[in-house]
Amino acid sequence: MQVKKIAGFDRIFYFRKKTFLGLLILFGAYPFLVSNYYIDIGFFFGIYALLGLSLNIVLGEVGLFDLGHAGFYAIGAYTTAILNTKCGIPIFILLPVSALAAALFAYMVCSPIIHLRGDYLCIVTIGMGEIVRLALINNPLDLTGGPNGVFGIDFPSVGNIFVIDSSIEYYFLIWVAVALSIYGLSRLQQSRIGRAWNCIREDEVAAKANGIDVRYYKLLAFVLGAALAGVAGNIYASKLMCVSPESFTFWESCLMFCIVLIGGMGSIPGVLIGAAAISLFPEIFRPFAMYRMLVFGGAMILMMVFRPGGIWPRKRGISGK
Amino acid sequence: MKNTKLTNYLMILGWVMLALVLSAPVATAAEKPVVIGLQGPITGPWAYEGQMAKQSCEIAAELINQKGGILGGRMIELRVVDDAGEPKTGALAATKLVGQKDVVAVVSTYGSSVCEPASNIYERYKKVNIGYGVTAVRLTQRDFKYFFRTCGRDDSQGKFFADDVPKRFNAKRIAVMHDNTAFGKGLAEDTKRGLEPLIAAGTAEIVYFDAITPGEKDFRVILTKLRETQPDVWYFTGYYAEAALLISQAREIGIKCPFVGGNAAINDEFVKIAGLDIAKGCYMTNEPLPGDLPYAEAKEFLKAYKEKFGEIPSSPWPIYAADALNIIADAVDKTGSTKSDVLAEFLRNKADGVPGITGPIGFTAQGDREGVPFYLYMVDDQGKIVVAE
Repeated sequence: MQVKKIAGFDRIFYFRKKTFLGLLILFGAYPFLVSNYYIDIGFFFGIYALLGLSLNIVLGEVGLFDLGHAGFYAIGAYTTAILNTKCGIPIFILLPVSALAAALFAYMVCSPIIHLRGDYLCIVTIGMGEIVRLALINNPLDLTGGPNGVFGIDFPSVGNIFVIDSSIEYYFLIWVAVALSIYGLSRLQQSRIGRAWNCIREDEVAAKANGIDVRYYKLLAFVLGAALAGVAGNIYASKLMCVSPESFTFWESCLMFCIVLIGGMGSIPGVLIGAAAISLFPEIFRPFAMYRMLVFGGAMILMMVFRPGGIWPRKRGISGK
Repeated sequence: MKNTKLTNYLMILGWVMLALVLSAPVATAAEKPVVIGLQGPITGPWAYEGQMAKQSCEIAAELINQKGGILGGRMIELRVVDDAGEPKTGALAATKLVGQKDVVAVVSTYGSSVCEPASNIYERYKKVNIGYGVTAVRLTQRDFKYFFRTCGRDDSQGKFFADDVPKRFNAKRIAVMHDNTAFGKGLAEDTKRGLEPLIAAGTAEIVYFDAITPGEKDFRVILTKLRETQPDVWYFTGYYAEAALLISQAREIGIKCPFVGGNAAINDEFVKIAGLDIAKGCYMTNEPLPGDLPYAEAKEFLKAYKEKFGEIPSSPWPIYAADALNIIADAVDKTGSTKSDVLAEFLRNKADGVPGITGPIGFTAQGDREGVPFYLYMVDDQGKIVVAE
């Protein structure tokens, strides 16, 4: 097979510019064709895509089991909620702030546990996610509003001129964020960092022997993943206008895990497909009422049986063959 | 080779998109029925409540339709959307309903933290929404124009507990246990507030105030702690699944004091899970259950409900959903309008003492129900939930 020299998006999606443009037009035109309800489903699809991308850095690229990712998501959402309602800081300014807060939290919490391997790291991250949720419920310093959460969050706006307050605008907000993330992450995949991450995933000892600072790169993955989850939290909080601990349960972490596994570890188009499966299926299966989750679970099992590597597994570009 | 694969993927994607576009609801131009929405947990952890609310609203609509409908012959049509008892899905469900222009007003929903984002959306799109199982106090303190509720608030129940229970059981040492949900913790804190005068007077004492983790199966560690405080009465403000496990395990390790549950703790499921031997003699603070309502509207409603579904609703919330539907129908009928502003104005200022299943319905300036009565109930020897003497 001839290896074509391709770069950027082409390489990520494995198809040509035309089809990529087609996809772009489809996503752009979609909200103008359907009702608000379907636009909002598209929005939550975007949120899960962003969350999936963020976990994909940790789980997909570096192979670190992280089942507490909802914790970072919650930190981002609550940072936005608290600073906006208590100090009146605009949502857009809080976007990087939320990312930084989640990243800082990830740095502090993950530094001491980063040397743990496989299942052990997984257990600690589960604990971390739960601790965040329980801390939010216990209302530390009267900030998080306990089980009721924080409410009355503003719309994202620049002054009074540009206010994001309709479903369509939120849809584009989240998908622009997703598109930027995909662009950045695809560049990252091609870079030294991306290769180092994959190397660690495949064989940590070999990576170390090759002079890769394993600890640094693992921590970097956690910090970047958390920052992206923080961004998702920021947008989620402003969309729902309130946050409560019920939105950041262990189940939410599991869903993100599923997104990455369904799509294929480390594969960006795979994450999009996984996110679509996770966010669209429950809505599509809604007519099944009581059997909804049963059908959903059955579909997931079938998928994993017939495509164990995920729906769209990552194909590593063959270099120097 | 690569291209055929590619085309396949694109084909699939195209079909999915097409399916989505086609399944989008097509607006009907039909003028005839008055459509009232119901947002409730049809699936998910509280599906039991959601299903009954749906059935209750169906019956309420049927009864109105049998009497010739409203506005001189227009029928009422119920449109149900599922919010699965989650805040996110609740927001989606609300968006779904506000997008349907023929929906006049909405009965929405069970669970305060689900109601919060949903009511934000209804408020924004100017749609009257009436909560039926949402008791968090703050919901009606947001100066919302279109939000009402037919049920009581957490603090009305907490206050009732403080006024009634210590006196009844001659209890001094009171244990309060919650489950850290918005509802459970809110009720526990209101109970504490309600008990403050008694504590100040030295006639009561809160010896235990802590939370359990919902979803757990083994509470023995927490219960051992509870046993050490030797309470005279034990108030649990969470939901029935945990309540049933708690009481079984508490009796096992020898906690003998009366068990009082909040209004979500005890229902037929509770008796089933805990078993009759343990469940009998358990108390709960509650709005009057459907069967105990003395009103003529209640008797008529329950008769119709029983004819269709074989039994009457076992929890009080579905009845509030039916009443929410009734008051919406009444408002539409009396104002002759389906405009949200007119309806909201009517409900807030002019609806007063409208006969409903749960008694006369009227709203305060904030949108709270006026005067919700509370009773103390107990599980009797046959496992039936009856008003405690």
